[in-house]
Amino acid sequence: MSDGQIVVSGLTKQYKNVRAVDDLSFTVEPGRVTGFLGPNGAGKTTTLRMVLNLVTPTAGAATIGGRRYADLHDPLRTVGAILEASAAHKGRTGRNHLRVICAAAGLPDSRADEVLELVGLAPAGSRKFKGYSLGMRQRLGIAAAMLGDPRVLILDEPANGLDPEGIRWMRDLLRRLAGEGRTVLVSSHLLSEMQLLADDVVIIAAGRLVRQGTVDDVMGSMSTQARVRVRSPQAEALGAELKRAGATVATDADGALLVTRVEAPAVGAAALRAGVELHELVTERPDLEHVFLELTQGKATIR
Amino acid sequence: MNRLIRSELLKIRTTHTWWIFALATVAGTAAALALNFLQAHLFLNATDDIASGSSPDQAQSIAAQSQVVTQAANIFTSGQFLGCLFAALIGILLITNEYYHQTATATFLTTPHRTTVVVGKLVTAVMYSAVFWLVSTAIAIPAGLIFFQAEGLPSHLGDWDVIRAVLLNLMAFAIWAVFGVGFGALIRSQIGATITVSVVYVVGFSAADLIFTLLHQWLQQDWIRTAQVIVPSTASQVMLAPVKLFPQSPPQWVGALVLIGYGLIAGLIGTLILRKRDVS
Repeated sequence: MSDGQIVVSGLTKQYKNVRAVDDLSFTVEPGRVTGFLGPNGAGKTTTLRMVLNLVTPTAGAATIGGRRYADLHDPLRTVGAILEASAAHKGRTGRNHLRVICAAAGLPDSRADEVLELVGLAPAGSRKFKGYSLGMRQRLGIAAAMLGDPRVLILDEPANGLDPEGIRWMRDLLRRLAGEGRTVLVSSHLLSEMQLLADDVVIIAAGRLVRQGTVDDVMGSMSTQARVRVRSPQAEALGAELKRAGATVATDADGALLVTRVEAPAVGAAALRAGVELHELVTERPDLEHVFLELTQGKATIR
Repeated sequence: MNRLIRSELLKIRTTHTWWIFALATVAGTAAALALNFLQAHLFLNATDDIASGSSPDQAQSIAAQSQVVTQAANIFTSGQFLGCLFAALIGILLITNEYYHQTATATFLTTPHRTTVVVGKLVTAVMYSAVFWLVSTAIAIPAGLIFFQAEGLPSHLGDWDVIRAVLLNLMAFAIWAVFGVGFGALIRSQIGATITVSVVYVVGFSAADLIFTLLHQWLQQDWIRTAQVIVPSTASQVMLAPVKLFPQSPPQWVGALVLIGYGLIAGLIGTLILRKRDVS
Protein backbone atom coordinates (compact mmCIF):
# COMPACT_ATOMS: atom_id res chain seq x y z
CA MET A 1 0.00 0.00 0.00
CA SER A 2 1.51 3.27 -1.10
CA ASP A 3 1.47 6.05 1.43
CA GLY A 4 -1.03 8.85 1.28
CA GLN A 5 1.33 11.65 0.37
CA ILE A 6 -0.19 14.43 -1.73
CA VAL A 7 2.23 16.01 -4.19
CA VAL A 8 1.25 19.15 -6.05
CA SER A 9 3.76 20.19 -8.69
CA GLY A 10 3.62 23.24 -10.91
CA LEU A 11 -0.17 23.37 -10.76
CA THR A 12 -1.54 26.26 -12.82
CA LYS A 13 -5.08 27.30 -13.71
CA GLN A 14 -5.59 30.11 -16.16
CA TYR A 15 -9.12 31.41 -16.54
CA LYS A 16 -9.97 33.94 -19.20
CA ASN A 17 -8.60 36.96 -17.39
CA VAL A 18 -7.30 35.56 -14.16
CA ARG A 19 -4.46 33.20 -13.29
CA ALA A 20 -6.28 31.63 -10.34
CA VAL A 21 -3.43 29.27 -9.47
CA ASP A 22 0.10 30.05 -10.58
CA ASP A 23 2.82 27.37 -10.69
CA LEU A 24 1.91 26.07 -7.25
CA SER A 25 3.97 23.25 -5.71
CA PHE A 26 3.78 21.73 -2.24
CA THR A 27 3.57 18.38 -0.51
CA VAL A 28 1.26 17.10 2.20
CA GLU A 29 2.50 14.35 4.50
CA PRO A 30 0.51 11.47 5.97
CA GLY A 31 -0.10 11.29 9.71
CA ARG A 32 -0.33 15.05 10.02
CA VAL A 33 -2.99 17.70 9.70
CA THR A 34 -2.00 20.22 7.06
CA GLY A 35 -3.72 23.59 7.01
CA PHE A 36 -4.18 25.14 3.58
CA LEU A 37 -4.44 28.86 4.16
CA GLY A 38 -4.96 31.89 2.04
CA PRO A 39 -7.13 34.98 1.80
CA ASN A 40 -10.44 34.74 -0.04
CA GLY A 41 -9.84 34.29 -3.74
CA ALA A 42 -6.30 33.00 -3.25
CA GLY A 43 -7.07 29.87 -5.27
CA LYS A 44 -7.52 27.36 -2.44
CA THR A 45 -10.74 25.82 -3.76
CA THR A 46 -9.49 25.76 -7.36
CA THR A 47 -6.34 23.97 -6.21
CA LEU A 48 -8.27 21.36 -4.25
CA ARG A 49 -10.63 20.81 -7.19
CA MET A 50 -7.66 20.30 -9.50
CA VAL A 51 -6.19 17.74 -7.08
CA LEU A 52 -9.55 15.92 -7.24
CA ASN A 53 -9.84 15.97 -11.04
CA LEU A 54 -12.92 18.19 -10.96
CA VAL A 55 -11.14 21.11 -12.60
CA THR A 56 -8.63 20.53 -15.39
CA PRO A 57 -5.30 22.23 -14.75
CA THR A 58 -3.81 24.47 -17.44
CA ALA A 59 -0.41 23.07 -16.49
CA GLY A 60 1.14 20.90 -13.80
CA ALA A 61 -0.23 17.89 -11.99
CA ALA A 62 -1.19 16.59 -8.59
CA THR A 63 -0.81 13.05 -7.29
CA ILE A 64 -2.17 11.24 -4.27
CA GLY A 65 0.01 8.34 -3.16
CA GLY A 66 1.78 8.61 -6.51
CA ARG A 67 -1.32 8.47 -8.71
CA ARG A 68 -3.48 11.12 -10.27
CA TYR A 69 -7.02 11.13 -8.87
CA ALA A 70 -8.47 9.98 -12.19
CA ASP A 71 -6.12 6.97 -12.15
CA LEU A 72 -7.10 5.81 -8.67
CA HIS A 73 -8.66 2.39 -8.83
CA ASP A 74 -11.28 2.93 -6.13
CA PRO A 75 -11.15 6.68 -5.47
CA LEU A 76 -13.52 6.72 -2.50
CA ARG A 77 -11.47 4.03 -0.75
CA THR A 78 -8.38 6.19 -1.11
CA VAL A 79 -9.58 9.78 -0.83
CA GLY A 80 -12.49 11.31 1.05
CA ALA A 81 -13.34 14.87 0.14
CA ILE A 82 -15.71 17.58 1.31
CA LEU A 83 -16.17 20.53 -0.99
CA GLU A 84 -18.86 23.24 -0.78
CA ALA A 85 -21.43 22.99 2.03
CA SER A 86 -21.87 19.31 1.13
CA ALA A 87 -24.78 19.35 -1.27
CA ALA A 88 -27.44 16.70 -1.65
CA HIS A 89 -30.83 16.45 -3.34
CA LYS A 90 -33.23 18.42 -1.13
CA GLY A 91 -35.92 15.77 -1.23
CA ARG A 92 -33.66 12.82 -0.44
CA THR A 93 -32.95 11.59 3.08
CA GLY A 94 -29.45 11.71 4.49
CA ARG A 95 -29.20 7.93 4.57
CA ASN A 96 -30.39 7.59 0.97
CA HIS A 97 -27.90 10.25 -0.13
CA LEU A 98 -25.13 8.09 1.31
CA ARG A 99 -26.60 4.92 -0.19
CA VAL A 100 -26.56 6.46 -3.66
CA ILE A 101 -22.82 7.06 -3.24
CA CYS A 102 -22.34 3.56 -1.78
CA ALA A 103 -24.04 2.05 -4.83
CA ALA A 104 -21.80 3.94 -7.25
CA ALA A 105 -18.64 3.13 -5.27
CA GLY A 106 -19.50 -0.54 -4.79
CA LEU A 107 -19.66 -0.20 -1.00
CA PRO A 108 -22.24 -2.07 1.08
CA ASP A 109 -25.31 -0.12 2.23
CA SER A 110 -24.34 -0.82 5.82
CA ARG A 111 -21.50 1.70 5.46
CA ALA A 112 -24.12 4.46 5.23
CA ASP A 113 -25.38 3.64 8.73
CA GLU A 114 -21.86 3.25 10.10
CA VAL A 115 -20.71 6.70 8.97
CA LEU A 116 -23.98 8.30 10.13
CA GLU A 117 -23.15 6.86 13.54
CA LEU A 118 -19.58 8.15 13.28
CA VAL A 119 -20.65 11.75 12.70
CA GLY A 120 -23.51 11.62 15.21
CA LEU A 121 -26.19 11.99 12.56
CA ALA A 122 -27.86 8.59 12.98
CA PRO A 123 -31.08 9.97 14.53
CA ALA A 124 -31.57 12.29 11.51
CA GLY A 125 -30.67 9.68 8.87
CA SER A 126 -34.22 9.20 7.66
CA ARG A 127 -35.01 12.90 7.52
CA LYS A 128 -34.88 14.81 4.27
CA PHE A 129 -31.85 16.91 3.44
CA LYS A 130 -33.88 20.11 3.12
CA GLY A 131 -34.63 19.95 6.85
CA TYR A 132 -30.96 19.77 7.83
CA SER A 133 -29.21 22.68 9.54
CA LEU A 134 -25.92 23.89 8.07
CA GLY A 135 -24.08 22.01 10.81
CA MET A 136 -25.94 18.79 9.98
CA ARG A 137 -25.14 19.25 6.30
CA GLN A 138 -21.45 19.56 7.12
CA ARG A 139 -21.66 16.41 9.20
CA LEU A 140 -23.36 14.60 6.31
CA GLY A 141 -20.53 15.79 4.06
CA ILE A 142 -17.97 14.33 6.46
CA ALA A 143 -20.00 11.13 6.62
CA ALA A 144 -19.89 10.90 2.82
CA ALA A 145 -16.14 11.50 2.84
CA MET A 146 -15.65 8.68 5.36
CA LEU A 147 -17.73 6.09 3.44
CA GLY A 148 -14.73 4.39 1.84
CA ASP A 149 -12.60 4.58 5.02
CA PRO A 150 -10.02 6.57 3.02
CA ARG A 151 -6.43 7.16 4.11
CA VAL A 152 -6.46 10.67 2.62
CA LEU A 153 -8.95 13.38 3.57
CA ILE A 154 -9.31 16.64 1.70
CA LEU A 155 -11.64 19.20 3.25
CA ASP A 156 -12.53 22.65 1.92
CA GLU A 157 -13.59 24.98 4.74
CA PRO A 158 -15.22 22.21 6.77
CA ALA A 159 -15.76 24.44 9.78
CA ASN A 160 -18.10 26.78 7.90
CA GLY A 161 -21.49 26.85 9.53
CA LEU A 162 -20.48 24.75 12.52
CA ASP A 163 -21.20 26.05 16.02
CA PRO A 164 -18.36 26.13 18.58
CA GLU A 165 -19.24 22.66 19.80
CA GLY A 166 -19.29 21.39 16.23
CA ILE A 167 -15.92 22.97 15.50
CA ARG A 168 -14.47 21.29 18.57
CA TRP A 169 -15.92 17.97 17.47
CA MET A 170 -14.47 18.41 13.98
CA ARG A 171 -11.06 19.31 15.38
CA ASP A 172 -11.01 16.20 17.57
CA LEU A 173 -12.15 14.01 14.69
CA LEU A 174 -9.51 15.32 12.27
CA ARG A 175 -6.75 15.05 14.88
CA ARG A 176 -7.80 11.49 15.63
CA LEU A 177 -7.84 10.60 11.92
CA ALA A 178 -4.36 12.08 11.44
CA GLY A 179 -3.25 10.20 14.55
CA GLU A 180 -4.29 6.98 12.80
CA GLY A 181 -1.75 7.78 10.09
CA ARG A 182 -4.11 9.35 7.56
CA THR A 183 -3.30 12.40 5.50
CA VAL A 184 -5.53 15.35 6.34
CA LEU A 185 -5.52 18.49 4.19
CA VAL A 186 -7.88 21.22 5.42
CA SER A 187 -8.37 24.59 3.84
CA SER A 188 -9.58 27.38 6.06
CA HIS A 189 -9.62 31.07 6.64
CA LEU A 190 -10.21 30.56 10.37
CA LEU A 191 -6.59 31.02 11.36
CA SER A 192 -6.96 30.73 15.10
CA GLU A 193 -8.70 27.42 14.48
CA MET A 194 -5.79 26.24 12.31
CA GLN A 195 -3.32 27.06 15.04
CA LEU A 196 -5.11 24.58 17.30
CA LEU A 197 -5.59 21.96 14.61
CA ALA A 198 -2.74 21.94 12.11
CA ASP A 199 0.75 20.47 12.33
CA ASP A 200 1.84 21.92 9.00
CA VAL A 201 0.64 24.88 7.01
CA VAL A 202 0.70 25.75 3.33
CA ILE A 203 0.04 29.44 2.84
CA ILE A 204 -0.90 30.79 -0.56
CA ALA A 205 -1.87 34.21 -1.84
CA ALA A 206 -2.85 35.31 -5.33
CA GLY A 207 -2.45 31.71 -6.53
CA ARG A 208 1.19 31.47 -5.47
CA LEU A 209 2.87 29.64 -2.64
CA VAL A 210 3.92 32.02 0.13
CA ARG A 211 5.24 29.63 2.75
CA GLN A 212 5.16 25.96 3.62
CA GLY A 213 6.35 24.34 6.83
CA THR A 214 5.37 23.27 10.30
CA VAL A 215 3.24 25.76 12.22
CA ASP A 216 6.13 26.39 14.64
CA ASP A 217 8.68 26.97 11.87
CA VAL A 218 6.47 29.34 9.95
CA MET A 219 5.68 31.35 13.04
CA GLY A 220 9.28 31.33 14.30
CA SER A 221 10.57 32.76 11.05
CA MET A 222 8.49 35.88 11.32
CA SER A 223 9.74 39.31 12.26
CA THR A 224 6.90 39.69 14.72
CA GLN A 225 8.33 38.78 18.13
CA ALA A 226 6.82 38.12 21.51
CA ARG A 227 6.04 41.30 23.37
CA VAL A 228 4.81 42.26 26.82
CA ARG A 229 1.74 44.38 27.26
CA VAL A 230 1.77 46.29 30.51
CA ARG A 231 -0.69 48.83 31.83
CA SER A 232 -0.07 51.27 34.63
CA PRO A 233 -1.58 54.57 35.82
CA GLN A 234 1.99 55.89 35.97
CA ALA A 235 2.91 54.85 32.45
CA GLU A 236 5.54 57.51 31.91
CA ALA A 237 7.61 56.59 34.98
CA LEU A 238 7.38 52.90 34.05
CA GLY A 239 8.37 53.62 30.45
CA ALA A 240 11.46 55.53 31.56
CA GLU A 241 12.54 52.71 33.89
CA LEU A 242 12.01 50.12 31.14
CA LYS A 243 14.13 52.07 28.69
CA ARG A 244 16.92 52.21 31.27
CA ALA A 245 16.66 48.40 31.46
CA GLY A 246 17.29 48.20 27.70
CA ALA A 247 13.72 47.60 26.53
CA THR A 248 12.00 49.10 23.51
CA VAL A 249 8.75 50.70 24.53
CA ALA A 250 5.80 51.73 22.39
CA THR A 251 2.44 53.03 23.50
CA ASP A 252 -0.70 51.27 22.35
CA ALA A 253 -3.77 53.24 21.32
CA ASP A 254 -5.50 52.45 24.62
CA GLY A 255 -2.58 53.72 26.67
CA ALA A 256 -0.96 50.38 27.46
CA LEU A 257 2.79 50.01 26.93
CA LEU A 258 4.02 47.45 24.40
CA VAL A 259 7.42 46.27 25.52
CA THR A 260 9.86 44.29 23.41
CA ARG A 261 13.43 42.98 23.87
CA VAL A 262 12.82 42.08 27.54
CA GLU A 263 10.76 39.30 29.11
CA ALA A 264 7.83 39.67 31.49
CA PRO A 265 9.87 39.12 34.74
CA ALA A 266 12.19 42.01 33.75
CA VAL A 267 9.17 44.22 33.19
CA GLY A 268 7.81 43.29 36.66
CA ALA A 269 11.18 44.04 38.23
CA ALA A 270 11.34 47.41 36.49
CA ALA A 271 7.88 48.27 37.83
CA LEU A 272 9.00 47.38 41.34
CA ARG A 273 12.11 49.54 41.01
CA ALA A 274 10.03 52.46 39.72
CA GLY A 275 7.45 51.91 42.47
CA VAL A 276 4.50 52.04 40.09
CA GLU A 277 1.16 50.31 40.30
CA LEU A 278 0.39 47.64 37.64
CA HIS A 279 -3.06 46.86 36.25
CA GLU A 280 -2.06 44.41 33.54
CA LEU A 281 1.04 42.46 32.66
CA VAL A 282 0.83 39.89 29.90
CA THR A 283 3.12 38.31 27.31
CA GLU A 284 1.65 38.36 23.78
CA ARG A 285 3.00 35.79 21.34
CA PRO A 286 2.43 36.33 17.64
CA ASP A 287 -0.40 34.09 16.52
CA LEU A 288 -0.89 32.55 13.13
CA GLU A 289 -3.22 35.37 12.24
CA HIS A 290 -0.50 37.99 12.58
CA VAL A 291 1.96 35.85 10.67
CA PHE A 292 -0.60 35.26 8.00
CA LEU A 293 -1.45 38.91 7.61
CA GLU A 294 2.23 39.77 7.45
CA LEU A 295 2.89 37.14 4.81
CA THR A 296 -0.04 37.90 2.60
CA GLN A 297 -0.01 41.66 2.97
CA GLY A 298 -0.44 43.39 -0.35
CA LYS A 299 -1.02 40.10 -2.14
CA ALA A 300 -4.62 39.66 -1.15
CA THR A 301 -6.06 42.29 -3.41
CA ILE A 302 -9.01 41.49 -5.62
CA ARG A 303 -7.71 40.26 -8.94
CA MET B 1 -21.04 0.20 -14.99
CA ASN B 2 -23.54 -1.92 -13.03
CA ARG B 3 -22.71 0.05 -9.91
CA LEU B 4 -23.38 3.32 -11.68
CA ILE B 5 -26.71 2.18 -13.08
CA ARG B 6 -27.73 0.93 -9.64
CA SER B 7 -26.76 4.30 -8.21
CA GLU B 8 -28.64 6.23 -10.92
CA LEU B 9 -31.76 4.11 -10.45
CA LEU B 10 -31.54 4.74 -6.72
CA LYS B 11 -31.25 8.47 -7.33
CA ILE B 12 -34.65 8.49 -9.01
CA ARG B 13 -36.25 6.00 -6.64
CA THR B 14 -35.29 7.94 -3.51
CA THR B 15 -37.07 11.14 -4.54
CA HIS B 16 -40.61 12.09 -5.54
CA THR B 17 -39.64 11.95 -9.21
CA TRP B 18 -40.66 8.35 -9.82
CA TRP B 19 -44.26 8.59 -8.71
CA ILE B 20 -44.79 11.98 -10.34
CA PHE B 21 -43.68 10.45 -13.63
CA ALA B 22 -45.72 7.29 -12.99
CA LEU B 23 -48.83 9.35 -12.36
CA ALA B 24 -48.20 11.56 -15.38
CA THR B 25 -47.66 8.54 -17.64
CA VAL B 26 -50.90 6.90 -16.50
CA ALA B 27 -52.89 10.12 -16.80
CA GLY B 28 -51.33 10.96 -20.18
CA THR B 29 -52.10 7.52 -21.56
CA ALA B 30 -55.68 7.67 -20.30
CA ALA B 31 -56.24 11.08 -21.88
CA ALA B 32 -54.67 9.96 -25.16
CA LEU B 33 -56.85 6.84 -25.20
CA ALA B 34 -59.99 8.90 -24.74
CA LEU B 35 -59.00 11.18 -27.65
CA ASN B 36 -57.98 8.31 -29.89
CA PHE B 37 -61.21 6.41 -29.17
CA LEU B 38 -63.22 9.46 -30.14
CA GLN B 39 -61.20 10.03 -33.31
CA ALA B 40 -61.31 6.37 -34.29
CA HIS B 41 -65.02 6.23 -33.67
CA LEU B 42 -65.62 9.25 -35.93
CA PHE B 43 -63.30 8.14 -38.74
CA LEU B 44 -64.41 4.53 -38.79
CA ASN B 45 -68.14 5.34 -38.81
CA ALA B 46 -68.64 8.56 -40.77
CA THR B 47 -65.98 8.59 -43.48
CA ASP B 48 -68.23 9.59 -46.34
CA ASP B 49 -69.56 12.74 -44.72
CA ILE B 50 -66.10 14.04 -43.86
CA ALA B 51 -64.51 13.11 -47.17
CA SER B 52 -67.05 14.81 -49.35
CA GLY B 53 -66.03 18.27 -50.45
CA SER B 54 -62.37 18.02 -49.47
CA SER B 55 -59.28 18.27 -51.67
CA PRO B 56 -57.64 15.13 -53.11
CA ASP B 57 -54.77 15.40 -50.63
CA GLN B 58 -57.11 15.58 -47.69
CA ALA B 59 -59.25 12.83 -49.08
CA GLN B 60 -56.22 10.58 -49.37
CA SER B 61 -55.25 11.38 -45.82
CA ILE B 62 -58.74 10.66 -44.56
CA ALA B 63 -58.85 7.42 -46.47
CA ALA B 64 -55.66 6.34 -44.75
CA GLN B 65 -56.98 7.41 -41.38
CA SER B 66 -60.14 5.44 -41.82
CA GLN B 67 -58.34 2.16 -42.19
CA VAL B 68 -58.96 0.08 -39.10
CA VAL B 69 -55.28 -0.91 -39.02
CA THR B 70 -54.21 2.73 -38.81
CA GLN B 71 -56.61 3.40 -35.99
CA ALA B 72 -55.51 0.23 -34.21
CA ALA B 73 -51.85 1.25 -34.40
CA ASN B 74 -52.83 4.67 -33.15
CA ILE B 75 -54.81 3.32 -30.22
CA PHE B 76 -52.30 0.67 -29.15
CA THR B 77 -49.58 3.31 -29.03
CA SER B 78 -51.70 5.77 -27.07
CA GLY B 79 -49.71 7.91 -24.70
CA GLN B 80 -46.84 8.00 -27.16
CA PHE B 81 -46.95 11.77 -27.63
CA LEU B 82 -46.66 12.64 -23.93
CA GLY B 83 -44.66 9.51 -23.12
CA CYS B 84 -41.80 10.49 -25.42
CA LEU B 85 -41.81 13.92 -23.80
CA PHE B 86 -41.61 12.32 -20.34
CA ALA B 87 -38.76 10.10 -21.55
CA ALA B 88 -36.89 13.22 -22.67
CA LEU B 89 -37.65 14.91 -19.34
CA ILE B 90 -36.32 12.01 -17.25
CA GLY B 91 -33.13 12.18 -19.30
CA ILE B 92 -32.90 15.91 -18.65
CA LEU B 93 -33.53 15.42 -14.92
CA LEU B 94 -30.83 12.75 -14.61
CA ILE B 95 -28.24 15.29 -15.74
CA THR B 96 -29.56 18.65 -14.55
CA ASN B 97 -30.38 17.40 -11.03
CA GLU B 98 -26.62 16.99 -10.53
CA TYR B 99 -26.13 20.69 -11.13
CA TYR B 100 -29.35 21.93 -9.55
CA HIS B 101 -28.64 20.10 -6.29
CA GLN B 102 -24.85 20.43 -6.64
CA THR B 103 -24.36 16.68 -6.46
CA ALA B 104 -22.16 16.64 -9.56
CA THR B 105 -19.13 16.97 -7.28
CA ALA B 106 -20.01 13.84 -5.29
CA THR B 107 -20.84 11.95 -8.48
CA PHE B 108 -17.58 12.76 -10.24
CA LEU B 109 -15.54 12.18 -7.08
CA THR B 110 -17.01 8.69 -6.87
CA THR B 111 -16.50 8.04 -10.59
CA PRO B 112 -13.76 10.26 -12.04
CA HIS B 113 -14.27 8.77 -15.53
CA ARG B 114 -16.91 11.10 -16.83
CA THR B 115 -17.73 9.16 -19.98
CA THR B 116 -18.67 6.23 -17.75
CA VAL B 117 -20.94 8.50 -15.74
CA VAL B 118 -22.74 9.73 -18.86
CA VAL B 119 -23.10 6.24 -20.30
CA GLY B 120 -24.55 5.14 -16.95
CA LYS B 121 -27.07 7.96 -17.16
CA LEU B 122 -27.94 7.13 -20.78
CA VAL B 123 -28.59 3.50 -19.92
CA THR B 124 -30.65 4.50 -16.87
CA ALA B 125 -32.71 6.98 -18.89
CA VAL B 126 -33.40 4.32 -21.52
CA MET B 127 -34.41 1.86 -18.79
CA TYR B 128 -36.84 4.35 -17.29
CA SER B 129 -38.26 5.22 -20.71
CA ALA B 130 -38.83 1.50 -21.30
CA VAL B 131 -40.80 1.39 -18.06
CA PHE B 132 -42.90 4.35 -19.25
CA TRP B 133 -43.53 2.51 -22.51
CA LEU B 134 -44.47 -0.65 -20.64
CA VAL B 135 -46.94 1.22 -18.44
CA SER B 136 -48.47 3.03 -21.44
CA THR B 137 -48.72 -0.15 -23.51
CA ALA B 138 -50.09 -2.18 -20.60
CA ILE B 139 -52.95 0.32 -20.32
CA ALA B 140 -53.50 0.89 -24.06
CA ILE B 141 -53.73 -2.75 -25.17
CA PRO B 142 -56.56 -3.97 -22.90
CA ALA B 143 -58.40 -0.66 -23.26
CA GLY B 144 -58.02 -0.83 -27.06
CA LEU B 145 -59.27 -4.40 -27.20
CA ILE B 146 -62.37 -3.39 -25.26
CA PHE B 147 -62.92 -0.47 -27.66
CA PHE B 148 -62.75 -2.61 -30.82
CA GLN B 149 -64.99 -5.18 -29.15
CA ALA B 150 -67.54 -2.45 -28.46
CA GLU B 151 -67.25 -1.07 -32.00
CA GLY B 152 -67.67 -4.55 -33.41
CA LEU B 153 -64.44 -4.25 -35.41
CA PRO B 154 -61.33 -6.47 -35.60
CA SER B 155 -58.53 -5.17 -33.34
CA HIS B 156 -55.66 -6.14 -35.73
CA LEU B 157 -53.45 -6.56 -32.66
CA GLY B 158 -51.77 -9.54 -34.31
CA ASP B 159 -50.96 -7.64 -37.54
CA TRP B 160 -47.30 -6.92 -38.13
CA ASP B 161 -48.20 -3.30 -38.91
CA VAL B 162 -49.63 -2.87 -35.45
CA ILE B 163 -46.96 -4.86 -33.62
CA ARG B 164 -44.30 -2.91 -35.47
CA ALA B 165 -45.93 0.36 -34.40
CA VAL B 166 -45.90 -0.75 -30.76
CA LEU B 167 -42.23 -1.81 -30.96
CA LEU B 168 -41.18 1.34 -32.83
CA ASN B 169 -42.94 3.22 -30.06
CA LEU B 170 -40.49 1.69 -27.57
CA MET B 171 -37.62 2.80 -29.77
CA ALA B 172 -39.02 6.33 -29.91
CA PHE B 173 -39.22 6.44 -26.09
CA ALA B 174 -35.61 5.27 -25.81
CA ILE B 175 -34.29 7.75 -28.38
CA TRP B 176 -36.08 10.67 -26.72
CA ALA B 177 -34.58 9.61 -23.38
CA VAL B 178 -31.09 9.67 -24.90
CA PHE B 179 -31.91 13.01 -26.49
CA GLY B 180 -32.94 14.33 -23.05
CA VAL B 181 -29.64 13.34 -21.42
CA GLY B 182 -27.66 15.03 -24.20
CA PHE B 183 -29.81 18.12 -24.06
CA GLY B 184 -29.54 18.30 -20.26
CA ALA B 185 -25.76 18.29 -20.56
CA LEU B 186 -25.97 21.02 -23.15
CA ILE B 187 -28.25 23.32 -21.13
CA ARG B 188 -27.35 22.76 -17.49
CA SER B 189 -30.24 24.81 -16.15
CA GLN B 190 -33.00 22.45 -15.10
CA ILE B 191 -35.83 24.85 -15.79
CA GLY B 192 -34.23 26.06 -19.01
CA ALA B 193 -33.72 22.59 -20.43
CA THR B 194 -37.16 21.36 -19.37
CA ILE B 195 -39.01 24.30 -20.85
CA THR B 196 -36.97 24.34 -24.06
CA VAL B 197 -37.51 20.66 -24.77
CA SER B 198 -41.20 20.80 -23.83
CA VAL B 199 -41.83 23.78 -26.09
CA VAL B 200 -39.79 22.40 -28.98
CA TYR B 201 -41.53 19.06 -28.61
CA VAL B 202 -45.11 20.25 -28.25
CA VAL B 203 -45.06 23.33 -30.45
CA GLY B 204 -42.34 22.03 -32.75
CA PHE B 205 -44.54 19.64 -34.71
CA SER B 206 -47.34 22.14 -35.39
CA ALA B 207 -44.96 25.03 -36.05
CA ALA B 208 -42.86 22.92 -38.43
CA ASP B 209 -46.00 21.69 -40.13
CA LEU B 210 -47.15 25.26 -40.69
CA ILE B 211 -43.76 26.58 -41.86
CA PHE B 212 -43.08 23.69 -44.23
CA THR B 213 -46.62 23.82 -45.62
CA LEU B 214 -46.26 27.52 -46.36
CA LEU B 215 -42.83 27.03 -47.93
CA HIS B 216 -44.23 24.17 -49.97
CA GLN B 217 -47.11 26.26 -51.28
CA TRP B 218 -44.82 29.18 -52.03
CA LEU B 219 -42.05 27.28 -53.86
CA GLN B 220 -44.22 24.44 -55.20
CA GLN B 221 -41.49 21.87 -54.50
CA ASP B 222 -42.55 18.53 -53.06
CA TRP B 223 -39.15 17.86 -51.48
CA ILE B 224 -39.69 20.77 -49.11
CA ARG B 225 -42.65 19.04 -47.58
CA THR B 226 -40.61 15.83 -47.39
CA ALA B 227 -37.74 17.68 -45.74
CA GLN B 228 -40.00 18.41 -42.79
CA VAL B 229 -38.73 15.12 -41.38
CA ILE B 230 -35.60 16.94 -40.13
CA VAL B 231 -37.72 18.37 -37.30
CA PRO B 232 -37.28 15.92 -34.39
CA SER B 233 -40.93 15.70 -33.40
CA THR B 234 -41.96 15.23 -37.04
CA ALA B 235 -39.35 12.51 -37.45
CA SER B 236 -40.84 10.83 -34.40
CA GLN B 237 -44.33 10.95 -35.93
CA VAL B 238 -43.14 9.80 -39.36
CA MET B 239 -41.35 6.85 -37.80
CA LEU B 240 -44.43 5.72 -35.89
CA ALA B 241 -47.19 6.27 -38.46
CA PRO B 242 -48.03 2.96 -40.14
CA VAL B 243 -49.24 4.93 -43.20
CA LYS B 244 -47.98 8.17 -44.67
CA LEU B 245 -48.41 11.04 -42.24
CA PHE B 246 -48.82 13.47 -45.15
CA PRO B 247 -48.73 12.74 -48.91
CA GLN B 248 -45.06 13.67 -49.38
CA SER B 249 -43.85 12.19 -46.10
CA PRO B 250 -40.78 9.95 -46.44
CA PRO B 251 -40.89 6.27 -45.46
CA GLN B 252 -40.84 5.23 -41.79
CA TRP B 253 -37.17 4.24 -41.79
CA VAL B 254 -36.16 7.78 -42.76
CA GLY B 255 -37.95 9.10 -39.68
CA ALA B 256 -36.24 6.45 -37.55
CA LEU B 257 -32.84 7.32 -39.02
CA VAL B 258 -33.32 11.05 -38.42
CA LEU B 259 -34.42 10.43 -34.84
CA ILE B 260 -31.51 8.05 -34.13
CA GLY B 261 -29.22 10.68 -35.63
CA TYR B 262 -30.52 13.30 -33.24
CA GLY B 263 -30.23 10.93 -30.28
CA LEU B 264 -26.62 10.06 -31.19
CA ILE B 265 -25.61 13.67 -31.78
CA ALA B 266 -27.21 14.88 -28.53
CA GLY B 267 -25.67 12.01 -26.55
CA LEU B 268 -22.26 12.56 -28.12
CA ILE B 269 -22.24 16.34 -27.66
CA GLY B 270 -23.48 15.94 -24.08
CA THR B 271 -20.69 13.48 -23.29
CA LEU B 272 -18.02 15.68 -24.83
CA ILE B 273 -19.25 18.72 -22.92
CA LEU B 274 -19.31 16.88 -19.60
CA ARG B 275 -15.81 15.52 -20.19
CA LYS B 276 -14.35 18.95 -20.74
CA ARG B 277 -16.32 21.08 -18.34
CA ASP B 278 -14.89 21.98 -14.94
CA VAL B 279 -17.07 21.05 -11.98
CA SER B 280 -17.15 23.98 -9.61
